[in-house]
Amino acid sequence: MERKKQYYTAITTRLLLAFFCLSVLPIVCFAWIMKDSVEETNIIKLKELATSTTEHRAEVISLFLQDKINLLVTLVSLYPQDFFFDPHNVERLFLSINHQGDFVDLQVIDVSGKQHAYVGPYRSKIAGKMYQDVPWFTETLISGVHVSDLFTGYRDTPHFVVAVTDPLKSYVLRATINSSMFNALLHSAQLGPQGDAFIVNRHGALQTPSLQGKTELSETERRLISSDSPSTSLITSTDIYTARWIAKGQWLLCLRANILDSLGYYLRLRDRILLTVIVISLLSMAAATMISLALSRTIERADKEYAALSLQFVQVEKMATIGRLAAGIAHEINNPLQMIGSQAEWIGEILPDEDANLVKNMGEYTKAVEQIKHHVKRAGAITHRLLGFSRKLASQKEKVNVNDLITETVSFVEHEAGHCGITIAETLAANLPLIMTDGPQLQQVFLNLLNNAMDAAGHGGRVEICTRFRGNSELVVEFADNGPGVKPEYIKQIFDPFFTTKDPGKGTGLGLYISYDIIRKLGGAITVENKKSGGALFTVSLPVSSYGEQG
Amino acid sequence: MKEFNVLVVDDEEEFRDLTVKILAKRGVNAQGAENGREALEILEHSRTDVVLLDVKMPEMDGIETLRRIRNLKPLVEVVLLTGHASVESGIEGMKLGAFDYLMKPIEIETLLEKLGDAYEKKRLHQEKIEKALLKKHMSMPS
Repeated sequence: MERKKQYYTAITTRLLLAFFCLSVLPIVCFAWIMKDSVEETNIIKLKELATSTTEHRAEVISLFLQDKINLLVTLVSLYPQDFFFDPHNVERLFLSINHQGDFVDLQVIDVSGKQHAYVGPYRSKIAGKMYQDVPWFTETLISGVHVSDLFTGYRDTPHFVVAVTDPLKSYVLRATINSSMFNALLHSAQLGPQGDAFIVNRHGALQTPSLQGKTELSETERRLISSDSPSTSLITSTDIYTARWIAKGQWLLCLRANILDSLGYYLRLRDRILLTVIVISLLSMAAATMISLALSRTIERADKEYAALSLQFVQVEKMATIGRLAAGIAHEINNPLQMIGSQAEWIGEILPDEDANLVKNMGEYTKAVEQIKHHVKRAGAITHRLLGFSRKLASQKEKVNVNDLITETVSFVEHEAGHCGITIAETLAANLPLIMTDGPQLQQVFLNLLNNAMDAAGHGGRVEICTRFRGNSELVVEFADNGPGVKPEYIKQIFDPFFTTKDPGKGTGLGLYISYDIIRKLGGAITVENKKSGGALFTVSLPVSSYGEQG
Repeated sequence: MKEFNVLVVDDEEEFRDLTVKILAKRGVNAQGAENGREALEILEHSRTDVVLLDVKMPEMDGIETLRRIRNLKPLVEVVLLTGHASVESGIEGMKLGAFDYLMKPIEIETLLEKLGDAYEKKRLHQEKIEKALLKKHMSMPS
C-alpha cells in the first residue's frame, strides 16, 4: 500500500515536472530574455541620445562664446584706443550691443590695470579697483583673448568674463557674460527629470550650476575630467554620463542621464510582463497540479478496479475449476456406486432363496443390504447434485414474483420451524417488479439460505427475510438470523464446495456453493456479512431487466 | 409383470452380467452385449423389446449405437444409462428417440419400472400398427 502511494506520488511529481518544463519554464525564459534585451536596447538608445545632445549643446555653447569674443574683437578693431577710454562712448557701445541681454557689463582697463570705463550694475563695488594682479587680466594680456573660469572677483558674485586686448596690448576690453543667459543654454540638455547638465573646469569646479542643485562632483564625474579624449561616455548601473571638452579644452560639458528616467515606460511594461508571467505561471501550475492529481487519481482508480476485477476473475476461475473437478470425481464415483448398489441388490434378490433355518442372521443380512442400498442412494444424491451443478445448461427464464417465491419457500419449512420454535419474519416490499429468472433454481437458493439461517438460529431463534428494490435495477433479498454469525476466518471460504461447519453427516458443504453458482449464472451476486447486532446476513441481489413490469 | 426381452449393452462386464442376472431373477428375459456391434447383431437375430444402453463406450458410443438401432428396429425402445451428467448427450439421445435417460447409480426397482414403461410403450405402439395392418387387410382382402 505504502509503495503504491509512493508510485502515485511519483507519477504526480513527474507530471507536474513535465507541465512545469513545458509551460512555465518557456514563458519565464522568454520573459527574462525580453526583459534583458529591451533594457539593453533602451540603454544604448539613451546613450546615443545623450551623446548627440552633448555634441549639439557643446556646439551651441562654443558658438555662443565665439560670438561674444568675435563681437569684442570687432569692437576693438573698429574703434581707436581713445574711443574706449571715454565712458560715454563705452556706455553707448554697451547699449547698442546688449539688446539681447547677453552681457552684464562692459569694462575697459589699460595695461597698467587701471580701469577707464565701466558700464554695468556693479559700478560702486569695483570703482577705483586695480586689475594688474587679477589672473584673468594677466592671462588676457598674454594670450590676447581670454574666457575666464567662474570667479567671485570684487563684486562678490560668481561670474565669468570674456576679455580681449587690442593688437598692441595697450588696453583690455572685457565683458561679463550674463550667467542666466549662458546657463539657459544647458537647460535643453536635460534628459529626464533626474537628468543633469553642467560645465566644470579642469579642476572640477562647477562653472554652471548643476540642474539638480549639486555642489560637489561625484567620483564618476571626476573620472570624466581625467579623460583626455575630446568626448567620453560612461555607463554606470543607474546613469549614463557623456562629456565633451569645450572652449579649447578649458571646460568640460557634462551630461548625466538617469537610466530609470528613460526606462520609465519600459519599466511599466516590464512590470506588466512580469505580472502577466507570474499570473500565467501560477494559473498553469494550478491547472497542471489539478490535471496531474486527477490523472494519478484516475490511474489509481483504474488500478484498483483492475485489481478487484482480477480478484473476481480468480474467484470465477477457481469456481469453474472446482466445478470441473467435482463433475469428474462424481462421474468416476458413480460407476463404483452403481456396482456396490447392484451387488447389494443381487444379494437382496437371492437372499430370500436361502433356507431361513440354516442362515442364522437372516434378518441382519436383509437389514445390511437395505442399509447399503440406502447409503448408495445417499452418495448418489450427492454426486447427482454435483453433476447437476456443473452442467452448462442455460437456465430457463420466466417472469418470477420474488415475494411469492419466498412465501412459498417459507411454507416448505414452516412445519419444521414451528417444531423448533423458530420465528420467521417476512418484510416484503410491495410493488416489486417481476424479474426474468429461473424460478425453481432461485427457490433452491432461497431454501438453502433459509435452512442455513434456521440451523444457525437454533431453538427459539429468529430468522428475518426482507426484500427490497435498490437503485432501480437491482432486487435485493436478505436472510438474517440471530445465531452466532460467521467466524471472520470462514467468510472467505464459506462459498467453497465441501466447506461446512455443521456436524459431520449433517451438511454436505455444497448448499452455499450451489447457491453461489446459481445466483452467479442468473446474473446476480450473493454476499455474506455479520450483523452488528449479531448473527449472519446473507444478501442476494438479482438484476431487474429493463422490460420487467411492476407487479 | 409381463414377460419381455431386454438387451443390456455395457462395456463393463461386471455391471452387465449382474444386471442380466437380477433382471432374469425378476422374470425379465435379459441378455448382455459388450458393445454396439454385438448389440446390433443380437437385435438382428433375436426378439428384443427394450435396450438398456450405456452412453459412454469405447469404439461405438451409445449415441451412435442408438442411431443404428433406430434404423434397424424402429419399434425397439431404448433406455439410455450413464455415469455422466452430460445433459447434451441426454438431449441428443432423446431427440434420436430414446425412451428415457437414467443416471448411475440407479436402483433396480427404478430401472425395472423404466424398462416396464418402455416395454408398455413399445407394446402399445406395436398393437396400433398391427390393428392398422389388420384393417388394411380387411378392407383389401387378397
